[in-house]
Amino acid sequence: MTEKHRAPISLKNVGVCYNMRLSRKRGLRKTIAKGARLDAQGKFWALRGITLEVQEGEILGVVGANGAGKSTLLATLAGILTPDAGSIAVYGSIATLLQLGAGFDDELNAEENILLVGAFLGIPGSVMKKKIPAILEFADIGDFSRSEVRTYSSGMRARLGFAVATAVNPDVLLVDEVLSTGDATFREKARRRILDLMKHARAVVYVTHDLESAKEICNRAIEMEDGKIIADGPARKIITAYERKMRTRGGPHASAASPKRTQSTPLRRRARKG
Amino acid sequence: MASSSHRLTVGRPALGPVGTIRETIKSVVQRRRLLLYLTIARVRKDGGNTIIGNFWLILDPALQLVIYYFLVGIVFNRPQPDFPLFLFAAILPWRWFTTALSSATESIRARNKVMRQIAFPQIVLPLSAIAASGTGFLFGLIPLFSLYLVYTDRLTIWVTALPLVAAVQILWTLPFAILFSAISVFVRDIGNFLRHALRLLFYVSPALFSYERIEGILGPNPPAHLLLDLNPMAHILTAYRNILYEGRAADWGVLLIVALASIPFTIFSIYLFRRLAPSFVKVL
Repeated sequence: MTEKHRAPISLKNVGVCYNMRLSRKRGLRKTIAKGARLDAQGKFWALRGITLEVQEGEILGVVGANGAGKSTLLATLAGILTPDAGSIAVYGSIATLLQLGAGFDDELNAEENILLVGAFLGIPGSVMKKKIPAILEFADIGDFSRSEVRTYSSGMRARLGFAVATAVNPDVLLVDEVLSTGDATFREKARRRILDLMKHARAVVYVTHDLESAKEICNRAIEMEDGKIIADGPARKIITAYERKMRTRGGPHASAASPKRTQSTPLRRRARKG
Repeated sequence: MASSSHRLTVGRPALGPVGTIRETIKSVVQRRRLLLYLTIARVRKDGGNTIIGNFWLILDPALQLVIYYFLVGIVFNRPQPDFPLFLFAAILPWRWFTTALSSATESIRARNKVMRQIAFPQIVLPLSAIAASGTGFLFGLIPLFSLYLVYTDRLTIWVTALPLVAAVQILWTLPFAILFSAISVFVRDIGNFLRHALRLLFYVSPALFSYERIEGILGPNPPAHLLLDLNPMAHILTAYRNILYEGRAADWGVLLIVALASIPFTIFSIYLFRRLAPSFVKVL
């Protein structure tokens, strides 16, 4: 196959499993208290039997309840988690918008942190240095660019994190619910920036609970449940069906169809985190 | 954009042991900037929130010297001639060794947030711990060389061999730092254990006393003597003392053997690290 015809993302029968004996994290324990996917050896399959190909130009929305495996899927695509079963291939540079500002070091100032995160991402220092002014301007942190990041407000931190993470156009863009960063003005700016990145990327995977925006942005969607893909198709069709299902089930997205609720959910989550 | 080569970024086939090690070394060379920034951040953190800041880099080893001088020189009354220099020539590198190991042990866990967001060669984390504590060692050379103002006749041309001995020390710090950083992700208790193990190693190393005196104490006891022989730090500290205090050549043959002996350990530690690395994010 030639380079051009190769799908940017392809997964064959991918499984990711957590060994519960090794992990002592309570958060994870709570999740598996349900016990559903814990097999005899104390293994918890966060993803199981995922076969998926994302073609050139596709913007794939991923929907599903909390704990369905959406974030694990993104981490696997980003190369952060290695599959325990099956095979995965992602071609081209990757940008992840998962947790903003995670790579920052509190003792460094804005410029140094931009270079640090760039180095984590493997972007050459010369490229990153040229981007500094644009990043600082986008993040709009003013005089604070010379102070250590530990002195920043959570909003400033998130804005800088967003600006760094979106500074370089990637081939593959992985987004996990970050459109709700900062105040209204910044949110609009961030939204435009993400849409722009999506337009230029070869493939996008977008995890969100904001179903209205997913319907708008994505051209394809999958629904996940218990670590498996249970529906795959055109975004509108899949998401509308998902909304209907949640409403009848009275699950976490019971009222997801109402735009008011959709807007406030990610916002509140952000606020608690900050 | 569209014309850039779309190489495989995630999902490379698993490599054999040799390939794994070659790939690891390559990835570290590629991320040398990351290593640099992490080192700067760490050095700054150490002095960051204190009033005299990074001056502690100089004051810390100097104060430690004063304490050991008091303990061994006055309380135990076992001084050697020019005792401060005798002590410092061994304590300073030992400090580097222990701070490198203890901060490397914590290094992976301390950066768990970024490991969940970005895929990068995690082995740079213990390496940056070694580099940052190496900075402490370099600053510690300031009080060390200040001692030569007092003991002028101790300063010889052999001092220039310092980088060579330090290189051997790095070779032996690497495998332990890499190993402990990986294991401590799974067994957090390793940090507690390490503190005591290093303490014990300190007393069976010629740090407070000369190699001959330690040998004299442990000599009649073969297992204990073996411990001294197999302790690479014993030979490294003796080499430091040879060139810095006694003003003569170190035993280069022994040092070469010690250096070569580190290589299999380093290779093993890198391989083990890479085998464990995929589980880090899951366990943290």
